[in-house]
Amino acid sequence: MSKVVAPGSELKSAGKLNIGLLLIALAILLVVLKPYLPEFLIRLPALLVVPFADAINFLFFFIKDDLGFIHVTRAIAGGVESLLDVTANLLYGKRRWPRIGPIPWTTIALTAGCIGYALGGWRLALLGVGTFCWAALMGQWKWTMETMSVIVVAVPVAVLIGLLLGVAAWRSTRFEKVISPLLNVAQSLPHFAYMIPVVVFIGVGPKSGAIVTIIFAVPPMVRMTLLGLRKVPPEVVESGQMCGSTKWQLLRNVRIPTARTEILVGVNQVIMQSLAMVVLASFIGMPGLGQKLLQLLQSLKIGRSIEIGITIVLLAIMLDRFSKAWAHRQPTHHERGTSWITRHKLFLIWVLLVAATLLLSTVFPLAAEIGRRQAFTLSKEFDAIVDWGLTFIDPVTLSIRAFLITQVLVPMRDAYLWLPFSAVITLFAGIGWYIGGRKSALICVAYVALIALSGWWDRAMITAYMVSAAVVLSALIGLPLGTWASRKASRAERVLLVCDTMQTFPSFIYLIPVIMLFGVNDVAAIAAVIVFGCVPMTRYTIEGLRGVPENLIEASDMSGANRWQKLRTVSFPMAVPTIMVGLNQTVMFSLFMVIIAAFIGTQDLGQEMQRALSSTDVGKGLVLGLCVAFMGLMVDHLITRWGSERQKLLGLSQ
Amino acid sequence: MLRKQAVTTTKMLGAAVALTLGSALPLHAADSSDPIIIPIHNWNSQIVMSNVVGQIFEEMGANVEYVSTDSQAVYEAVRNGDVTLELEVWEGAFGAAFNAAMEKGGIVDAGDHNAVTREDWWYPDYVAELCPGLPSWEALNGCAAMFATPETGDSGRFLGGPVDWLKHDQERVDALGMNFKVVNAGSASALWAELAAAKKRGEPIVLFNWTPNFIEAVHPGAFIEFPEHQPGCDKDPALGPNPNATYDCANPPNGYLKKAAWDGMAEKWPAAFATLQKISFTNPQIAEMAKLVDVDEFEPEEAASEWLAANEDVWKAWIQ
Amino acid sequence: MSESSPLISCKGLWKLFGDNPEAYLESKKASGIPDFESLQADGYIPAVRDVSLDIAEGEMLVIMGLSGSGKSTLVRCLSRLIESTAGSIDVAGQDLRALDEKGLIELRRNKMGMVFQNFALLPNRTVLDNVIYPLEMRGQDKHTRRERALEVIKLVGLSGREDYFPRELSGGQQQRVGIARSLAIEPDIWFLDEPFSALDPLIRREMQDEFLRLQDMLGKTIVFITHDFDEALRLADRIAIMKDGVVEQVDTPDKIVLQPQTPYVARFTEDIERSRVVHASFLKEEISGAVPEGEALPASSTIHSLSRRLVDDVREVYPLVDDAGEICGQMRRAAALDVMLGSSSTPDSTT
Repeated sequence: MSKVVAPGSELKSAGKLNIGLLLIALAILLVVLKPYLPEFLIRLPALLVVPFADAINFLFFFIKDDLGFIHVTRAIAGGVESLLDVTANLLYGKRRWPRIGPIPWTTIALTAGCIGYALGGWRLALLGVGTFCWAALMGQWKWTMETMSVIVVAVPVAVLIGLLLGVAAWRSTRFEKVISPLLNVAQSLPHFAYMIPVVVFIGVGPKSGAIVTIIFAVPPMVRMTLLGLRKVPPEVVESGQMCGSTKWQLLRNVRIPTARTEILVGVNQVIMQSLAMVVLASFIGMPGLGQKLLQLLQSLKIGRSIEIGITIVLLAIMLDRFSKAWAHRQPTHHERGTSWITRHKLFLIWVLLVAATLLLSTVFPLAAEIGRRQAFTLSKEFDAIVDWGLTFIDPVTLSIRAFLITQVLVPMRDAYLWLPFSAVITLFAGIGWYIGGRKSALICVAYVALIALSGWWDRAMITAYMVSAAVVLSALIGLPLGTWASRKASRAERVLLVCDTMQTFPSFIYLIPVIMLFGVNDVAAIAAVIVFGCVPMTRYTIEGLRGVPENLIEASDMSGANRWQKLRTVSFPMAVPTIMVGLNQTVMFSLFMVIIAAFIGTQDLGQEMQRALSSTDVGKGLVLGLCVAFMGLMVDHLITRWGSERQKLLGLSQ
Repeated sequence: MLRKQAVTTTKMLGAAVALTLGSALPLHAADSSDPIIIPIHNWNSQIVMSNVVGQIFEEMGANVEYVSTDSQAVYEAVRNGDVTLELEVWEGAFGAAFNAAMEKGGIVDAGDHNAVTREDWWYPDYVAELCPGLPSWEALNGCAAMFATPETGDSGRFLGGPVDWLKHDQERVDALGMNFKVVNAGSASALWAELAAAKKRGEPIVLFNWTPNFIEAVHPGAFIEFPEHQPGCDKDPALGPNPNATYDCANPPNGYLKKAAWDGMAEKWPAAFATLQKISFTNPQIAEMAKLVDVDEFEPEEAASEWLAANEDVWKAWIQ
Repeated sequence: MSESSPLISCKGLWKLFGDNPEAYLESKKASGIPDFESLQADGYIPAVRDVSLDIAEGEMLVIMGLSGSGKSTLVRCLSRLIESTAGSIDVAGQDLRALDEKGLIELRRNKMGMVFQNFALLPNRTVLDNVIYPLEMRGQDKHTRRERALEVIKLVGLSGREDYFPRELSGGQQQRVGIARSLAIEPDIWFLDEPFSALDPLIRREMQDEFLRLQDMLGKTIVFITHDFDEALRLADRIAIMKDGVVEQVDTPDKIVLQPQTPYVARFTEDIERSRVVHASFLKEEISGAVPEGEALPASSTIHSLSRRLVDDVREVYPLVDDAGEICGQMRRAAALDVMLGSSSTPDSTT
């Protein structure tokens, strides 16, 4: 008996491999036999294309007009707007209730300083004061405050919604099952796809900017809340129960405070997502830095747009460091008998500073606001630097540009477009099966088939070609760079700071120099994507390599391994799961950036997305967005699956 | 109070009657104290113009707010009353969106500016030296090889505007049998970036452009002269040199530049609406506004004040 | 220990983890009690199997077992932190399993306290506020709850640290806060789930002493969980030894050591120095005939503490006196030496 069973089970495990490889072989066969294939295997017949966009539009307009949902959304928007009016009045003096603003810039800068000091000492205090001083001295105060007036409304609202949804998902597994895939899709949907429905339901203006920012920022908050609540040690909950807490008391007094760190990390992510929307949301009326940036780019003022870019980066870094410091802050106590004044020293200093600055600004108007004319500018210098850089690199890029286009990209693009769609589906089924068995194969087939059914196959293939080119090049840059940076702690820290900066620097600014170097073509688009895509690749390579356990390094040192051997045999194999997370993010970043690269001029999904935005075509925008999301989700599924198999393997081998 | 009144009146009389009533009212009938919302877009002449008009309204005692919007989506916003007016309706670029909004209702035509607009193929001055015979389109076609880029092979490249501007460049190339390929830039910024880079390298370039536009002040140039524009050229193949194709002639050289308003504006801010109808800028005035920002580095608000101070005689007449 | 009505009493208590365990267990009961392997084969994790225990008022029952033996699950069934699969639990005359949520909360707010292995303090609250927490839940007014909390904090020796946050305290101090919190509402029943396991050996010893001091003073009914046999022997009135969800033996430490009833329990007791556990009273015999001569030995002492005398004083039989000084029986020297040195005969033969 046992002799019969054993080969059977062996066959089963080998079968997984074989079917995967078989499917891949079949895909290759389909490619080779393309000339003989019937037309319906090369491109999906038009008859089978599902008019998803029409259906979505029908649904949206049914909800909006026939069900009168527009009144609901307008009412919500009204609520958001009244909040925005308050912050707008306080921060830049818009004529709305409570009509006491604008607060002088010196007051805000010193307030930021006090908050920074409370959260993390002198360094953060300096960062807070410095950021706002920069904004004021560079004459960007009003725009900065316009941006902040939206952020300070959007962030708390997004946090609140995320918290509520997170708690709901934690309480009800059924709700979690519904919301979890929605969050997955939402987080891989390009920004523009969010905007079109907002324009339809809300209109344009600061409130729309705030609402699109909120929608974009909620998903990570939900996830972190859920994660935090799940991570609360059962003992702590039990201790709460044994103290006789009701369910609500348990949630409010025990679970949420104990999940504080995760929840605050969620707040941090909300802030970062909001800042990522500063520029994009200005397409639908968000005022402030983003809007000004686009105007300046439109009239080719690179130097001044870099100034604004720096302000955005500074704001992002400041808010990031502040919220991280808050998240990791541990409570401390005052000794007994400490006087009220000592306990609230910082608060009193702040009150004094506020009073002083308010007084000062009535005497010296410059302490209240610095006009553009009195402000400094570095635009000439930046222009000169950019100009010098461009002149310097231009000969190099000019010479590789022709080669890249004619020898690499055009053939690659033609090849992608040439592929029969049946071969692509089979290929991904094979890869899916090879990595994760039948379930993964089915998931991959579903994603690819949906893209085919949407009727945007060719556009999607162009997007895929640009993303794959950009990802390969990003990896070729990011891996060595990350490896080099990880060798020394201080160097790693510096490179990570550069990564932070690159990630928060508004991507639109990259577009202009890239066009100047490469022209309006795919090289420029891919170059712009690489600038962004390199960041996670570098970051996770550094983190992966630096996270390799010390004892393994010591063990290989004692085995007499040289640097290269150590890297090849110990560090890289251990860091691979982390590096794969980086690869995954690079794919996501690249997908997002390819869509934005439509502003250079591409012929992919992004270009159609841009059209859908300007004609406020909800259905088309969402279908295109989902095509992009599906590509991202498929790659995400494959990499995550591969990573967990790999980790299992590492766990077993140890 | 006033706002409520206005709303009831509108409800009672309907939009059309309200409109006539509004324009018939005496000029100093009190305007609502609600802010007039002026949309601004991402090109400077429009921003300055919006600020100029806004400051004129403020001079008249109105409250004004600015909101940045997409230049295509703005017509939907005007229809809904989310923004009150639109100062630059370009025939070529936004005619379609404006007409679509007019059909749906809620928006009114507030008259044309004196300025005319033109959108067509364009080259910077230095290209004329490289390709003698410009601005004739035949001469351009003769130099086609000079405009070739790696991605267009042997044909010349024409750098078009974003596809959603719906220009029929490819059709024209085909109709006139030109040895050019159309490459669409993704945004106006992309056009200017390419132009600046080409100029720096001294490379020939021909691209989509329009007037009035700030770029004229920074990079002088000229439009290509295509076969003369004839109305209906886009529909009737018989018109134009190619008897078998449409789009075989130039874009209209004198497109309108319009103002549009929400149909409730006349009711709510009668005085401001009356002024809006009178407002009319000329091409040189618009170029001047753009120059104040693009060349003289003023902020749009300051540029507007500057312009108002220098041109009092022009705008005082509009508020009488 | 044979009080009339026990404070906690559970009968036929079961806890299975798995899919719809109630129905499964019901279906199996007809064909006798399923064993560990068959339960596992059916996809269930048997954590508590058919446990019956009575805990008298004022008694300290120590539940001892290795990790995975089901002791933590058992105590969570007794406090109804988790729902049992079958059986009955009676606490202070109330059917615990039948209580609704409100009743359960009432019971916990007034009658139960619990101490946890990893302290389970609320990180965002100070020592004082952690101790106040159960009183706050009970809705006591601010002044009284503060007074009471300060009192318990003093009791556990943490006065002066009221404003500290848990992370600012050492492990031992944190557990003192945990103890103070569990005592704040003056519970009748005190559950301690491996309270000292996370502490260093020296601190553990100190905390055990502290715990005995408190118990001396307060006299609570205690269910104490530990995996440390020495700790169990040191603290317990009675010990329940668990393995695979089943209570193998419940007895006084003396009996566990000298008369283990299963091979598993015997394995535990092998390396134990019995003389430190066994008391003279346990070897006590009825006096038949005349009272043995010579100085009497206290019945409540361990054999270990009497060892010098047992060596020096070579009488055949010693009279024993109880705490009041009355002669209550006699002890044979040979039996005591057997406990001290180990005997050639099996321990069972002493009875």
